[in-house]
Amino acid sequence: MADDLPLLLGLLLVAAAGTGTVLVRDPVRQSFVMSLFGLALATLFLLLQAPDVALSQLAVGSALTPLMVLLSVRKVRRRARGERREERE
Amino acid sequence: MNGWIAAGAALLACGVAPAAGCAATGPVRRRVPAQNLTSTFLSLVFLLLAQGFHRTAYTDTALVLSVLGPAGTLLYVRLLADELADRPPRPRVLRTVTTLSYLAVPAVLLPLCFITGPGRAMGKLLVIGALLVCGSWSAARAVTAAATAGHTIGAPVEGTDDG
Amino acid sequence: MRTRLWVLAVGSLGTAVLYLLACRDLPAFGGLWHPYGDRAVHAALTRHTANTVSSVNFDQRSLDTLGEESILFGSVLGTVVLLRQTRDEDRLPPRPVRVAPPVRRYALLALPVTLLIGLYVVAHGQLSPGGGFQGGVVVATALHLLYIAVDYRALERIRPVGFYEVADAAGEAGYLLLGAAALLTGAAFLTNFLPYGTLNTLASGGTVPLLNAAIGVEVAAGVVVLLAGFLDQAVEIESEQQDTGAEGER
Repeated sequence: MADDLPLLLGLLLVAAAGTGTVLVRDPVRQSFVMSLFGLALATLFLLLQAPDVALSQLAVGSALTPLMVLLSVRKVRRRARGERREERE
Repeated sequence: MNGWIAAGAALLACGVAPAAGCAATGPVRRRVPAQNLTSTFLSLVFLLLAQGFHRTAYTDTALVLSVLGPAGTLLYVRLLADELADRPPRPRVLRTVTTLSYLAVPAVLLPLCFITGPGRAMGKLLVIGALLVCGSWSAARAVTAAATAGHTIGAPVEGTDDG
Repeated sequence: MRTRLWVLAVGSLGTAVLYLLACRDLPAFGGLWHPYGDRAVHAALTRHTANTVSSVNFDQRSLDTLGEESILFGSVLGTVVLLRQTRDEDRLPPRPVRVAPPVRRYALLALPVTLLIGLYVVAHGQLSPGGGFQGGVVVATALHLLYIAVDYRALERIRPVGFYEVADAAGEAGYLLLGAAALLTGAAFLTNFLPYGTLNTLASGGTVPLLNAAIGVEVAAGVVVLLAGFLDQAVEIESEQQDTGAEGER
């Protein structure tokens, strides 16, 4: 039982972060939770001694996906701001 | 389960989990420093697990995280500069975060270096430690700079917004 | 519509039954009996590849990796088409940005270090965890530290998108050509035809390091092209109708 504790902890973290990612609605806040979900998955993979998969998850999840999400948010917000200004004029 | 894995699990439960909780909830000004602390702590967990599994090759995950974690923080600071300038993080929070990482890095690395002994593996550990310390230092500086830039210019959107 | 749902239901039910039947014969979690693992490790060691996962990915099942690589290639292509500059969109040069000096120093220092770590992960794919995909993503991320350290114009200067598009295609083609080169020796497509080398050295594993390098080039270039599409849309491209409003900011 004691041997499985780290693995249980990793599974719990993944479950919590995954549920959180789905429940958060604002994309900017969601990008934080999603990157944490990636880190939790990487931890679980390393606990299961699969470092190759953990590395893939880290490489993609820690900087690349948040960047893509935030850039998309910026584009959408800018368009919304432009349209609001147009209405005012 | 040996002592290293137990230490890694303990750091995961008492360090990573609370930091991740702070990064997942609350305002952006708290999330950005907490995200940095999470990745620093997690790198240390990876190092402890690598030692626990007796696989030095696993330290590569910590090495990659030690450069990509701060890169992620700096990206957040850059792209969320407006929000950080509007509501800057409290200096106390930033100081706590940096102090915690400065304390945790040597606390984990010294025993690991001691057990590894001099050689190439120890060099790698020291490189990871240096990257982690530099990463949290620069992340704290970046957050402070983004916050003060908003104060001096007054209109935060103009000065920092190039995308 | 109703018929389609029925087809879906029958298909899902069939998959579920087959999946459950297959799961019944799976070895228990964490047991000592690993029929596939033992064979894969044995095959990897006979081919002098220390990292069994790399041996599986780039030697024993390299055709699967070709499929995965093509998926990435195709999705990057699709994103580039979706995010292209359309006729009613204008391209405005981004404003230079003042970055805080300590951040700039750190990012400029971290750039070569990250690049080096990425190349290290690609080059050691046959020895330690990692490989072309992981290292390629790290290399691409490293280049984008320039966007953090300076601004988008500096990144554009070292990032001629055309060059990276060619590199992306060259990586994809390199994998195919290496596979086809095996045909010349009379072996099957993607056979490991090179001498295996000495176990646990950089020159080991036969074609594994070469295929790894091809994937590394493809992934790094693909991610750069992908992010270029996103960055262009977020930073430079304005649709015409909002020009009047956005003038104050640009």
